[in-house]
Amino acid sequence: MTTTEAPVAGPGRRPTAPGRRRRRPRFNSAYLFIAPSVILIAVFIAEPIAQSGWMSLHNWTIGEATHKFVGFANYTALFHDSRFWNALRVTVAYTVVVSVGQVLLGLAVAARLRKTTWYSALLRSAYFFPYIASLVVVGIIWKFLLDPQVGLVNAWLGDIGISAPDWLQSTTLALPTVIVIGIWKNVGFAMIVLLASMQQVPAFLYEAATLDGANAWQRFRYVTLPALRPALLFTSVIATITGLQLFDLVFAMTSGGPIFHTESVVMYLYEQGFVNFQMGYASAIAWVLFLIILVISAVQLRVARYRDAD
Amino acid sequence: MPFPYRIAQRRFVAATATTVAAALLAAGCSSSPSGGSASSGVVHLSMLTGFTGPDEPSYQALIKEFNATHPDIQVTMTVEPWATVAQKLPASWATGQGPDLATPSSDPGSIFNYIKTNSVLDLSSAAGTGASKIDTAAFPSSVTSAFTVDGKLYAVPANLATLVLYYNKDMFAKAGISGPPTTEADFIADAKKLTLTSGGKTSQYGLSLADNQTIQMWPILQWMSGGDIIGKNNCAVINDQASVAALTQWSQLVMQNHVSPVGQTGADADTLFSSRKAAMEINGPWAADGYKSAGINLGIAEVPVGSAGPVTLGSTVPLMIEKSTPHPAQAEEFLAWYTGKTAQEKFSQVSGFPPSRTDITSAVSSNPVVAMFAKALPYARLYLAGQPNATQIDTDVYVPLIQKITRGANVQASADSAATQINQLTGCKSS
Repeated sequence: MTTTEAPVAGPGRRPTAPGRRRRRPRFNSAYLFIAPSVILIAVFIAEPIAQSGWMSLHNWTIGEATHKFVGFANYTALFHDSRFWNALRVTVAYTVVVSVGQVLLGLAVAARLRKTTWYSALLRSAYFFPYIASLVVVGIIWKFLLDPQVGLVNAWLGDIGISAPDWLQSTTLALPTVIVIGIWKNVGFAMIVLLASMQQVPAFLYEAATLDGANAWQRFRYVTLPALRPALLFTSVIATITGLQLFDLVFAMTSGGPIFHTESVVMYLYEQGFVNFQMGYASAIAWVLFLIILVISAVQLRVARYRDAD
Repeated sequence: MPFPYRIAQRRFVAATATTVAAALLAAGCSSSPSGGSASSGVVHLSMLTGFTGPDEPSYQALIKEFNATHPDIQVTMTVEPWATVAQKLPASWATGQGPDLATPSSDPGSIFNYIKTNSVLDLSSAAGTGASKIDTAAFPSSVTSAFTVDGKLYAVPANLATLVLYYNKDMFAKAGISGPPTTEADFIADAKKLTLTSGGKTSQYGLSLADNQTIQMWPILQWMSGGDIIGKNNCAVINDQASVAALTQWSQLVMQNHVSPVGQTGADADTLFSSRKAAMEINGPWAADGYKSAGINLGIAEVPVGSAGPVTLGSTVPLMIEKSTPHPAQAEEFLAWYTGKTAQEKFSQVSGFPPSRTDITSAVSSNPVVAMFAKALPYARLYLAGQPNATQIDTDVYVPLIQKITRGANVQASADSAATQINQLTGCKSS
């Protein structure tokens, strides 16, 4: 039943008399409540972003009294910097494989652990645990595990007669190894988001599909997957953004080596800014990365028809 | 709800929110300079260092003694990881908000960044002879030279270390080798003999070499037989005949004879030696206690001598004064005392490091380990000394070069490419 209520004047609110001068709008104390957040965002996020944009237009070395304005020279130099392109290639390769891998694996695990039993609850915790662990801690632990001399992985492989390689020192294996660790680390996040979304799918849809003769795969394909679209979009966008910001894991595991084969854009930015003190150049790298993330996220949202999905 | 109560509530809410916002602003805008201060005639100096390792108590003991003997000057040393020091110090010194004294990095080449930003005090007027002066003539000439730019002294050595050859006596005895190698030829022969394989896999390495995140060992291997990285005219010599021959020889020993693992960090190399998986390692005095506590039957010897004569790598941490410190005279007095004979003798005894002075080696002869490091002082060479872009040359050129040639890249071509990069960084004009 639909009912319509007549508007009722609230306490203290009086109708304006015709012809009477309008009262000045009263100051809303709500602004004061949001003021601390606005100030914090302005001081610690907005201003540094604007400042880095300004710095990227200068030859800005930490500590120097004056900073020469160079226009877009830092961006031009970046365009011709082979090490930047190498770092971008590494970052994109990591992001693509880890994003796709963690979403697909997360989907598979979520589908498998959908029913809540003590066993699935235990496994969910096991899959989710790496996600809440610090990236640096994860990196250091895996570095020890993969150590060719004292690591458990190579020792176990040796026990079963497999001559294991030097995972993190091989120019061909270092990046794939970091990628596998990245997927393992993040699959729990995708799993938990997709699992929560799966459990929101109404049971009657599956009953109807079953009555229509749909098999298990068809129920997954035509009922579950469409219902998961917003969650899939969310996990893939988050995975892409975090992948493009790759730093901690490679910093702890390889420091970008061997011979820059795992050096990410953010690692290169860190070295330029905080090792070589070239903040202008580092800011230019940050802005290029920011634009890349912006464009890729926008494309993802567009391709996934965000409005429909929402 | 009664009307007056609503008014009071709104006022309370508005006042609270305003106070919170004001407090946040105040917190964001306030600052607390960490520089020196003077109260009741006593000058307090702050000192920031990166000595987070087991040698920290040695520095603290030295400062404690200075404070006890100088009641009018009190120094407080703060220790933070080197990476944190490197991030905080440039901006804090450039804005006059930093500590009075600091060791900016374990890399002596880092002083150029601070000289360029006009952040450090010229110590030239404090140099001289006598207890109240910094006696630069007593430092090894390579150290004084590294800390002197355009004729001005900008730093003193916070410590001075030389690299020696650590070896596992048990492994040597088991291999039938009577003593440590003294020549490059013996060094190579022993490294090969001490490398053992089991089931097609190396079970013991003759030598533990690191090439990244470490104090460099590879330059010693080049210097031994006359090679080098940069020549006297600031131009690269890493691709000359002697350098390429040395790099070829040692990269082949690593790749073909597997005398050392590839691509180790300094920490990896130390772990390999202390876990008894390597028979020799070139390292500094800071490593000795760790190896002994790991139960290694430890031997320490001078680095073997090659065709170019005795040579090893020296390492020194620069200690500098902030240019805008309000107490330059007291800070200079501290440096004069710190680098003086009494303090250096004491420091050497408690830390196991050789003294930063060459005129008191006899005073440390009672400790054979310290004496070994001190003995190498006269022929120790600093890595990339005097190069303003030393850090970049190391991380962008030298480390990648070693990593390439130990993975099979052509040595001459890689060295040629490295030389081109080095010349760009040093500003070498000659072709």
